[in-house]
Amino acid sequence: MKHSISIFWRLKDNHYKIYVTKCRDCGKAAAFKRLRCPHCGSQNVEHLESRGLGELINYTVSYYRTEGSEQYLPRVVGLVRLDEGPVIVGEITDVDPNELSASTRVEAVLRKYSSDDPNGLIYYGLKFIPIIKR
Amino acid sequence: MRTYVVGSGVTKVDRHYERNYLSLINEAVNKALADSGLDISDIEYLVVSSAFTDSILNQVDPSTYIAQNLGFRKTRALTVSSGEVSGAVALDYAHALIRSGKARKVLVVGFEKMSEYPSWIINRVYSKILEHEIEGIKNVSPPEYAAMIMQEYVRRYGVSREDIVKWSIKMHENAVKNPYAQLQFNISLDLLNRALRISEPITMLDSHPIGDGAAALLVTDESITKKMNGALIEVVDIESSVNLPIYLRDDITYFSSTAAAYKKISSKNEIRLDKTVAVNVYDTYDIYGLLIIEALEICGRGEALKCLDEMPYLNIGGGLKARGHPVGATPLYQVHELRELMSGSSWVKYDGEISLAHSMSGPDNNAWLILLRRWV
Amino acid sequence: MAYSGFRSGIIGWGAYIPIYRIKARDIARQWGFDERITDSIWMEEKAVAGTDEDTVTMGWYAARSALMRAGVDPRDIGAVFVGTESKPYAVKPSSTIIADALGISTKKLSTDLEFACRAGSEGVRLAVSLVESGAVKYGLAIGSDTAQANPGDVLELTASSGAAAYLVGPASESVAVFEGLVTYVTDTPDFWRRDGSRYPTHGEGFTGEPAYFHHIVAAVNMLMKELGLKSSDFDYAIFHQPNGKFPLQVGRMLGFPKEKVLPGIVTPWIGNTYNASALLGLAKVLESSKPGQRILVAPFGSGAGADAISVLVTDKVLERVGKAPTVEELLSRKKYISYAEYAKFRNLIYRNLG
Repeated sequence: MKHSISIFWRLKDNHYKIYVTKCRDCGKAAAFKRLRCPHCGSQNVEHLESRGLGELINYTVSYYRTEGSEQYLPRVVGLVRLDEGPVIVGEITDVDPNELSASTRVEAVLRKYSSDDPNGLIYYGLKFIPIIKR
Repeated sequence: MRTYVVGSGVTKVDRHYERNYLSLINEAVNKALADSGLDISDIEYLVVSSAFTDSILNQVDPSTYIAQNLGFRKTRALTVSSGEVSGAVALDYAHALIRSGKARKVLVVGFEKMSEYPSWIINRVYSKILEHEIEGIKNVSPPEYAAMIMQEYVRRYGVSREDIVKWSIKMHENAVKNPYAQLQFNISLDLLNRALRISEPITMLDSHPIGDGAAALLVTDESITKKMNGALIEVVDIESSVNLPIYLRDDITYFSSTAAAYKKISSKNEIRLDKTVAVNVYDTYDIYGLLIIEALEICGRGEALKCLDEMPYLNIGGGLKARGHPVGATPLYQVHELRELMSGSSWVKYDGEISLAHSMSGPDNNAWLILLRRWV
Repeated sequence: MAYSGFRSGIIGWGAYIPIYRIKARDIARQWGFDERITDSIWMEEKAVAGTDEDTVTMGWYAARSALMRAGVDPRDIGAVFVGTESKPYAVKPSSTIIADALGISTKKLSTDLEFACRAGSEGVRLAVSLVESGAVKYGLAIGSDTAQANPGDVLELTASSGAAAYLVGPASESVAVFEGLVTYVTDTPDFWRRDGSRYPTHGEGFTGEPAYFHHIVAAVNMLMKELGLKSSDFDYAIFHQPNGKFPLQVGRMLGFPKEKVLPGIVTPWIGNTYNASALLGLAKVLESSKPGQRILVAPFGSGAGADAISVLVTDKVLERVGKAPTVEELLSRKKYISYAEYAKFRNLIYRNLG
């Protein structure tokens, strides 16, 4: 068993969904649910669910092989500016790297992150695809 | 109380398939002790730094087993693990012990055994320097950030992607002269088109290699150095700063934690770096080397490539690119190379009074600076 | 268009078709079939789920579209059923993953159903019963499959991947109300997959006459008899689509002209998506239907059974079509892949794991 059960189970909110931590003190926002504002340290924060829409601002086609990744390569990893403001890192899937371009509008979709084959857990989480339609 | 590096030793960085970590460490320790005239029995503290022993060697707290196997008796021993800056943190610990008067003779030992598994396993281990609960679970890996940073740098400053390889070419030139370097050969730009891509546009030509190594620094107070001849190398100050994750930064081409650490160390010690000061920086990827010398205010933003030819003492050992990156030992290799340079035993002659070692974990996630001074 | 006397209907629907397509001819050529076999069963190409897709991820997308069209609070959904024969976990429900990822109430019924290709429609029937009995406000039924086929088996020309989802709720909120639902089930072993086996086995010709045709005809006739309707009363007829040919053939047997069957045909371009097959056809028809039209949908599952469901379209359909990707949009979103890529994506290549 390579995939932890409890770690992922606890993290569902940050991977099945996209939350934005918004600081009531400094006004800044950051991707993911956080205990404190990463910009000013305040605990006076609220967590808002993102609609999962945004714009691709940077990406790379990766051939970096890590244990268990071979079936998924090459992968596209990118930075997405959510419509709510903050930038999030994630995988861009269903794309032909040669046809992709920064500024592509993307939507978050549930996909397999990794699979602890043949007997372990499947980690599911959000990736991005070029928006089908909204 | 001042802290001095009175002895240092390293092994060649390589894929040491035939040797275990104890053997590498023993070689480095012997060299460090031979330099100083002290013996293992004189050591009050053994401070060990390593990033990945748990994952790769199935060994936690290697300091205990290094002490047991290398004849340290009744020595205080501990392990420091802080990602790619483990070595700098270990030296900071030793520095604090000396400064506080709690110890006079501390042996700092850094090592990593990166070649014990095939690359796809080691790549997974190396990726643990990023945040597991966010980046790790999403399978985001270090070269992917380097790739995006390089693209942003090229776009923002209009430099060509080919020009960035100048950094790597210079590192290989330096490594050819360093008997301890892993990649002791020259490279040229025409290799770029054939170089294996790791994460577009980052290729093997832009990246550090995987290698094993061990380094040891013997750190003492004045009570030891009083009896010594020749130049003395002092650890003047160690400073650091953490950064936000890449995806929360306004400008991914600015290494602001390196810059913040530099502001602290330069104002406290009233020093300024320029192109003629010896610096040893963490070029995990060539693009990072450029961003670091910009953050250290040696060159203007976007101008690092123009400065390279004017920096004779930049990564004289070949940097992470060509000397190699035995992770837990790398900052100690840097200090070793600077000590040799400043004490006149290097293949390069250097008259400067100060030098600086820069290390960082990930893309500037946690940046550390070590300021060294020569006393004649 | 308001209908009185009906208690439940479709509040929202959603479709999902993976982006990848392989030409049926490429599969035929790979295994030495005469390429004309693809025309004989009217198969042009089939949809292939990517490496990072499975029944859960596709079902999630279809269900999310259904929720977007419905515009209801996910916390009001009291039942989630996933009909599939390609569960990512043999033991551990797919439905709970989808439900959590969509923020659906924890106070719910939730299970994966298996009945070859018609477990999704049984999910619809269960949701209808729960809504009509007052046990839940809304019930979600999903049909999702990454269908397996033994490489080289004729089944490989058609077995594909896709998902469809239906949110069932009160008739007053519906885009289409349920007029009648019947199911006809027997023990007919036309197609199966044994426990632990990677690929199903089928009776070739036996899957046709005694299985597909007999069950669908029986179910549809039963429905028309119960409702006092004849085939001419329906504007569209949608049947389970193991290939392009069978639904036209069964339509003819039941007296439906080609024009009423063709609008709901999707298999020639995406393959047989198993639990999503007829339900995707229904989604496609709903998206171009007019208020007041009557639609017959008849899913079939091996083993064997068929449902026959009659729905009446309301005027609410018009405003909800555009709120999520349509079947047409998903059909036109495609990238062609080779047999080798298909084999990699569908895990047909033996690799050392772990």
